[in-house]
Amino acid sequence: MVNSRAVAGSLARSNPGLRKTFLFILGVLVLIPFLFPFIWMLLGSFKEEVDFMAYPPVWIFKPTLENYWNVFVENDFGTFAINSMIVAALTTFFGLLFGIPGAYAVARYKRTGFALIVLAARMAPGIAFLLPWFVLFVQLKLTNTYFALVTTHLIFTLPLILWMMIGFIEAIPREIEQAAMVDGCTVWGSLFRVVIPLTVPGIAASGILCFIFSWNNFLFSVVLAGEATKTLPVAVFNFLGYQSISWGPLSAAASIITLPVLILALLVQKYIVRGLAAGGISG
Amino acid sequence: MSSRSTRDASSMDSPSFWQRFVGACDRNVSWLMPLPAMMVTALLMIFPLGYLVYMSFHDWLLIGGKGPQFIHLQNYLALFQDERFISSLGRTGIFIILGLIIQVPFGVAIAVLFNEHFPGRGIMRTLLLLPMVATPVAMALIWVIMMDPSSGILNYFLSWFGIRSVAWLSDVNVVIPALVLVDTWQWTPMVALICLAGLSALPIEPFEAAMIDGASVWQRFWKLTLPMVWPTLLVAILFRFIDLLKVIEHIYVMTRGGPGFASETINLYNFLMGLFYYRVGYGSSISVVIFALVLGASLILIRARRTSW
Repeated sequence: MVNSRAVAGSLARSNPGLRKTFLFILGVLVLIPFLFPFIWMLLGSFKEEVDFMAYPPVWIFKPTLENYWNVFVENDFGTFAINSMIVAALTTFFGLLFGIPGAYAVARYKRTGFALIVLAARMAPGIAFLLPWFVLFVQLKLTNTYFALVTTHLIFTLPLILWMMIGFIEAIPREIEQAAMVDGCTVWGSLFRVVIPLTVPGIAASGILCFIFSWNNFLFSVVLAGEATKTLPVAVFNFLGYQSISWGPLSAAASIITLPVLILALLVQKYIVRGLAAGGISG
Repeated sequence: MSSRSTRDASSMDSPSFWQRFVGACDRNVSWLMPLPAMMVTALLMIFPLGYLVYMSFHDWLLIGGKGPQFIHLQNYLALFQDERFISSLGRTGIFIILGLIIQVPFGVAIAVLFNEHFPGRGIMRTLLLLPMVATPVAMALIWVIMMDPSSGILNYFLSWFGIRSVAWLSDVNVVIPALVLVDTWQWTPMVALICLAGLSALPIEPFEAAMIDGASVWQRFWKLTLPMVWPTLLVAILFRFIDLLKVIEHIYVMTRGGPGFASETINLYNFLMGLFYYRVGYGSSISVVIFALVLGASLILIRARRTSW
C-alpha cells in the first residue's frame, strides 16, 4: 500500500488526474473482495441446481425464481420473517423505552459508573448471560416464547442504545434545556419537550441499529427459539441440515435475510461503527 | 388550563398529593430517571452473572431430572485437566494472533487509501460497511458455498494461480486460516473505519512541514501518521482482540468446531458444553473463565479509551 502510495506520489507530480484515477482503481480493487460474497449470493439465488454444480463456475445463466418459490412456499419463510420482525420491533421498543431516560441520566447527571457497567456487559461473552437465562427459562417453561427472545436480545441492544444516546444527548447544548427550565419546564418536561424532539435523528439511528442487531442475532435465538418463534437466522441455519446441499434455496434465503439489513444500514451508515463499538455483538 | 389554575390557587397553603409527588419526582430525578434502565440492567445482566457463578459451583446436568449438586471448586479444578478446554484455549490464541496480524495492517492500509481524495471515495466507504452489518449466519453459509472443495468459487480463483483444490473447511491444517479469512472479511472494515476516523482528525501542519523538509512517503507514514493515529488504532485493536477472544458464530455455523475439534475455540467449547450437552454447571465455570479473560482485556480498553477518545 505504501509502495503504491509512492507510485501515486510520483504520478501526482506529473499528473494529478492520473493520480486520482490510480487511487480510484486501487479503491475498486480493495472493495471487490469485500463485496464479492454479496454478488455471489445474489447470483446464486437465481441459479438452478445444475448451474451450481458447474465447474468452472458459471457467471451467465438462465435465471430462475424457483429458489425464492422454494423458500417462501415450501419452507414457510414468511412466518419466520414475521417472527423476526416481532422480536426485533419489541426489542427496539423496549430498548428505547429504557435506554433514552438512562442515557439522559448518564449524560446530564454523570452516572458514569452505570454506563461503564453496561459497557462491560457489551464486552462480556454472550454465553455468560445466555447460559443462566437458558437454565431459568427452561425451569420456568418459557423457552420458545417471544418473551425469552426479546429479554435476551435486550442484553446486547440496551448497551448499544444507551451508549449511542449518551453521545446524542451530550451534543445538545445545556443552555437550551436551562432556558426551558427557566420558563417553568420540569426536568421530565425538558426530556420530553426538548431533548427527545432534538434527538429524533439519533433515536432513529439507534433504533434502526438495534433492530438490525436483533434481526441478525443467531446465537441467542438458536438456543431460545422453538418451532413457533423461530427467527430467520435460525431458519436459514436449519436449511443446511434438512436438505443437503440445496444451495439455490440457501442463497435465496440468505438474500432475503440480508437485503433488508443492507438497506437499513445505508440509512444509518454514519453511526454503524459507533454502534458496533457500543453493543450489538452477542458472541 | 382552568382546572390547573384553580388547583394552583387551592394549593397555596397545602400542596396536594399529586404536586408533592411531582415535586418529589423532580427533586430525585437524577436517580429516578435512570432507574428503569438500571433495574433492567440488574435483572438482565448482573443477576444472571451471579447465577452463573452459583451454577459454576455445582455439578448440574440439565437433562435427566437430577438437580444441581454443590461440588465447591471442582468444576474449575477439572478445567486444568480438560484437554479439550486447554487446546481450545490455545486455538483461540491462534485465532487472535492470526486475526490481528492480518486485519490490523490491512485495515490501516485501507484507511490510508480512503483518507486520500479521489472520485467515488464516499460510496466506497459506504460499501465497505456492508460486511459488518450483513446477517452473519447468512454470510457464513454463503462462505460455505464459496469454499466448497469441488465446485466452490474460491478454488476456481486459486486454480488461476496453479493451486490445486483446497479442502477449506475439512482440512485440519487449513480450517483455522479459512475461518480467520471469513472473520477478516467481516471485521477488517471495522479496523479500517475506526482508523480512518482517527486519520481524518489529524492536523495537517506536521505533514506539510515534513513534506517541506523532504520526508519520503514511507518516512511520513512511519514517523508521523502511525504514531499520531496509534491511540485510535489501539482502540480498534483491543476491540478486535476482545471479539476474537469470543469468536464463535461463524465457526459454529461453518464447521461446528470440526473437523474433529480442529476449529473449536474456547467460546464454542463453552457453548457446546453448556447448551448442547446441557452440562450447565461445568459450562458455567468455562463462562466464568472467559468472562475473566474478557474483563481483563476490557479494562485495558476502557483505560485506553479514556486517554485517547
